[in-house]
Amino acid sequence: MQSRSSGEAPASIGQPIDAGARATFTNTIRLRLRAPAKLRNLELFLVLFACIIVGGSIALVQLGALGTIDPTVLIIGTSLGVLAIAMHVVLRFVASEADPFILPVITVLNGLGIAEIYRLDISRKVSGWESSGIRQIAWTAMAMLIAIAVILLIRNHRVLQRYRYVAMFVGIALLLLPMLPVIGETVNGARLWIRIGSFSFQPGELAKIALAIFFAGYLVTARDSLSLVGRKFLWMRFPRARDLGPILIIWLAAMIVLIFQRDLGTALLYFGLFLVMIYVATGRASWVVLGLTLFVGGALVASQVLGYVGGRFHAWLDAFNPTVYQAQGGSYQLVQGIFGLAHGGLIGTGWGLGRPNIVPLAESDYIIASLGEELGLAGLFAILALYLLFVSRGFRIGFAGQDDFGRLLGVGLSFVIALQVFIVLGGVTRVIPLTGLTTPFLAAGGSSLVANWIIAALLLRLSDSVRNQPRLVVE
Amino acid sequence: MSELTLLLLRFGFLLVLWAFVFSVVYALRSDLFGQRVRRQPVEAAPAPFVASAVAQPTAPVAFAAPAPSQDTATEAFTVAAHSSTATRLVITSGPREGLELQLSKEPLTIGRSNESGLVIRDDYTSTHHARLMLWSDDWVIQDLDSTNGTFLGGSRVTLPTPVPLNTPVRIGTTSFELRR
Repeated sequence: MQSRSSGEAPASIGQPIDAGARATFTNTIRLRLRAPAKLRNLELFLVLFACIIVGGSIALVQLGALGTIDPTVLIIGTSLGVLAIAMHVVLRFVASEADPFILPVITVLNGLGIAEIYRLDISRKVSGWESSGIRQIAWTAMAMLIAIAVILLIRNHRVLQRYRYVAMFVGIALLLLPMLPVIGETVNGARLWIRIGSFSFQPGELAKIALAIFFAGYLVTARDSLSLVGRKFLWMRFPRARDLGPILIIWLAAMIVLIFQRDLGTALLYFGLFLVMIYVATGRASWVVLGLTLFVGGALVASQVLGYVGGRFHAWLDAFNPTVYQAQGGSYQLVQGIFGLAHGGLIGTGWGLGRPNIVPLAESDYIIASLGEELGLAGLFAILALYLLFVSRGFRIGFAGQDDFGRLLGVGLSFVIALQVFIVLGGVTRVIPLTGLTTPFLAAGGSSLVANWIIAALLLRLSDSVRNQPRLVVE
Repeated sequence: MSELTLLLLRFGFLLVLWAFVFSVVYALRSDLFGQRVRRQPVEAAPAPFVASAVAQPTAPVAFAAPAPSQDTATEAFTVAAHSSTATRLVITSGPREGLELQLSKEPLTIGRSNESGLVIRDDYTSTHHARLMLWSDDWVIQDLDSTNGTFLGGSRVTLPTPVPLNTPVRIGTTSFELRR
């Protein structure tokens, strides 16, 4: 994997350098990286492995739920494998040094999601465009094409830094879009969707990318004033009152989402993203303490004042109480999800053999419970391990980055995935109150898929520019 | 499809899924356990302390004897470095003595990791060892909590410290200088 400097003759390796050889070394050497295909070959192997897993899971769903293998869905699924390999080929040409693990990992996650959604369709006896499985496959294809376009169009991530204020306005506009009167739509009490004709979209998912770009660009310029000055109190250095502006604005935005869009999860996601990015940029724990105090304070007030937040807290703390269980908007879904997980046990019921369709919204908010029932604890932990690998690669890319903007962006984008997985899984398993967020890459929903594939494409682009720099190897 | 076949397929699927996870983990083992050290032939690796002593005479007189305390050293370096900005990094001792690297305006990472801008693979270098950054026309070296330390003109770097021209920076068995 190492590159050799161009002035180095293979014969001289490992031998004492004599005076003549040293003279050639002394010449200024422009170091150019000979692109080794090793990373891409590894990626190809893993992508093929991923396609086998996905194909196997769809076949097992059919064996378990139908008893026979129906080739049409497998053929449609193959088209996604072809797209994943197309993305791999694009990476070979335009980002040959990109991280080789991101694409295979998200291919497996996305494919497991499709298999489980297809399995739920079978139990509901829907087919064609009625079924969310087929729609999910179509959305995945579109998301992959958009990700390929992002890799092709954004050749250098520093371009994004120029558009940080554009990103801010786009992010805020996307967040506020569902509150518009005609196109905004309320689903299950939360006002997070826009609908134009029969086409509905959740713009908040894309807002997380725009906001991550804005936070990264803004914090690169502002972090000195945010980190260097302040008063020491207890064991931490707290910022000056006049530097509190940004955190208060983000807090207000989160509270607006909480109150007017009635969605605790989204508010927590954006505020958490900002907190982590400001912590990474400044290295001051006091920001996290301040931010968490603000958010928990706001959420506690909201739980007292707003009915739906209070209901969520109540259903979380007292889930198994029969009156809460039977109440409208009570803990029925939460408890059924837990029953499903318990039914799955250690190794699950097997693809197509459980009854995940009992849980409301089993294919979107509760996909984790559905997968946990059919694959068991062993399968759920494998899925969590895949998320862990994805997020750790993202942090790695951020850590190894050359420019501060790229470092912050890498950390922010991967953290937003991690936080989203935590909020969803914590909600389903009763660690935190249940909120309606999508599980990245797994859950049914086009906007979430598109946003997460764009995040993956940006991380691939970042990792390519990290490795593709002029460099010198001493060994 | 019999019960037993389905049970075997269920186990088989979970095994394949975990095999995928572990093949990814195996492929990135260097991230978990650090980059593998390549053993160098003994004669190709000069002793670090002798080498830096050889490099020392090329440094300006002001820096030949490093100041005793870190603070005064930093102060002295800051004053001298404003005269001009380095554009080249020259390796003055170590296995690749004499090699040069053109510096751009971007920061340069140094370490054993393949992602570093200057990859130094020896026993004494950490995976992510140090970073050279351009702070308002001064190259500044920052030690990234390395195990064996980064030495600027003989004293260990603890804070981001400006690197004056022609002053040896030692990382592991390699020393380099910044030159105009």
